[in-house]
Amino acid sequence: MTENYIYAPEHNIEGGFRCKVPLPGSRQVFMIDGGVQGTGRPLDIRFERGKIYGEALQVISIRTEKHPEDISTRESFHFEEGSSARLILCSHTFAENPFHTEGNVSITLEAGASADIVIMQNEHNRATHNTRFDIHIGEGASLKAVILTLHGGVIDNDITVSLDAPHASCDISGLYLVDGTQKVTNTLKVLHRVPECHSRELFKGILDDSAAAYFSGLIHVFPDAQKTEAYQECHNLLLSRDARAFAQPQLEIYADDVKCSHGATNGRLNEDELFYMRSRGIPLKEARVLQQLAFAYAVLDKISSPELKERMASLTERRLRGEFTDCKSCCRNCC
Amino acid sequence: MAENKILLEIKGLHASVGDKEILRGIDLTVREGETHAIMGPNGSGKSTLSAVLAGRDSYTVTAGEVTFNGRDILDLTPEERSFEGLFLSFQYPIEIPGVTNVNFMRTAVNEHRRHKGLEPLNAADFLKLMRSKMEIVEMNPSFSSRGVNVGFSGGEKKRNEIFQMAMLEPRLAILDETDSGLDVDALRIVATGVNKLKRPDNAAIVITHYQRLLDYIVPDVVHVLYKGRIIKTAGKELAREIEERGYDWIING
Repeated sequence: MTENYIYAPEHNIEGGFRCKVPLPGSRQVFMIDGGVQGTGRPLDIRFERGKIYGEALQVISIRTEKHPEDISTRESFHFEEGSSARLILCSHTFAENPFHTEGNVSITLEAGASADIVIMQNEHNRATHNTRFDIHIGEGASLKAVILTLHGGVIDNDITVSLDAPHASCDISGLYLVDGTQKVTNTLKVLHRVPECHSRELFKGILDDSAAAYFSGLIHVFPDAQKTEAYQECHNLLLSRDARAFAQPQLEIYADDVKCSHGATNGRLNEDELFYMRSRGIPLKEARVLQQLAFAYAVLDKISSPELKERMASLTERRLRGEFTDCKSCCRNCC
Repeated sequence: MAENKILLEIKGLHASVGDKEILRGIDLTVREGETHAIMGPNGSGKSTLSAVLAGRDSYTVTAGEVTFNGRDILDLTPEERSFEGLFLSFQYPIEIPGVTNVNFMRTAVNEHRRHKGLEPLNAADFLKLMRSKMEIVEMNPSFSSRGVNVGFSGGEKKRNEIFQMAMLEPRLAILDETDSGLDVDALRIVATGVNKLKRPDNAAIVITHYQRLLDYIVPDVVHVLYKGRIIKTAGKELAREIEERGYDWIING
């Protein structure tokens, strides 16, 4: 895979940006204003048949002031039969322009492949970013993805997962943290086309001020897809009266021997837990943060790499403590 | 006893939840070194009294005053009362999934230290302190990395309460039905823990239905609370008498 992307060992691009996320033994590629650094072309990665990639591949997509116009981007990840790799997909805005980005991410897993993906979205308040994820999973292949929406004006993730052959499985989770007037939408379509596939989704959001979050999750079980197991959950924590969360779980089941469930809740901070913590000397503000972190934990815990999990947990904590609002010009608080 | 310093003084305390008055004039004085038991039938206001003292805001204090360590505490937040040295062991300890015991206690202990103008404890010193305090209630060290009270049995939750008390070293501990849901062994461990924490300058209020706990934590004074008032105060022998005769003779007497 090394041939078709620019390896940037210095983790450095013009302007002195230095990503501090990289894990030991990870490789990075920069996508600048929709093109791979150096070539300007869309990203096209193939993971070779039977190969287990020890290094994680981090793709850092950034928008710069050189291209303030609306752009669309294309990234393709193809996992050949039996390959296994870890991906970290980050998106950032580097200038204050009201960027509008249309992203297209295609992920294909051939038989027996496995993909472990962490997606981090961290953009400024004037950015609009719609990403269409088109995911195909083959026989016995498995995909695990965690989408962490840390910050962004209008973020829209439209995810379609097609389970194409028996024993395909996916586990997709999302954590979105929104405040001010931010909006996040997650639209999921999980298509169980054939028998004996498994899917699981867990989406959680923390909303403050007059932020809004929309979740729409469809599980579609095709007529022959017996022995399907599909579970979906969406939970929102509302910190203010003006925050709005909408959850629309949908099950469409055309097979009769399946296990499917969905659940959605919108709630507030738990008064009993807050009082318990305060009675031990933990101030209200701190107790609120602890409770939000606890709420977020179930999603963060899905991140397989302990180092990345810790990194994301610390970013989540800083975000919840309001530290991201300190920097006006960008949202590169992860660096 | 009389020469000991007054730690807690409650005068004419009335408290309501919504329109319903639950505490209807409580007077109680607790001095350093004393252990008080508060008994009484269900619904008499025992748990309300402990919640009001700890600062739960779902109750409204409508009259009276509470002085703790010489300071009026009714206007203090729950965390400020904790800093002053008040501790409530919950009848039903709250589960907090995702917050580990160790993080929970480290945050609490360091907030207490900050309040006293001390530096936070470093990780090594904190773990050492935690281990030594866990021994007091024979708590398995593996509990420290688990979510606060999550999946704990009734006995484990109560041990965790006493462990937290040991960590925070309060001047006054209010034990709200610490014996409920405990088997005999857990009761002995919890009560032994409480006794180990007893010092000449601190005090405890033990709220209980049963004599059983008072066999282990021997009170100096026993109060009977009924319909929001203390209707009888006597020595430890009162608890045994209640165990044998119930409350009717006091209520009707």
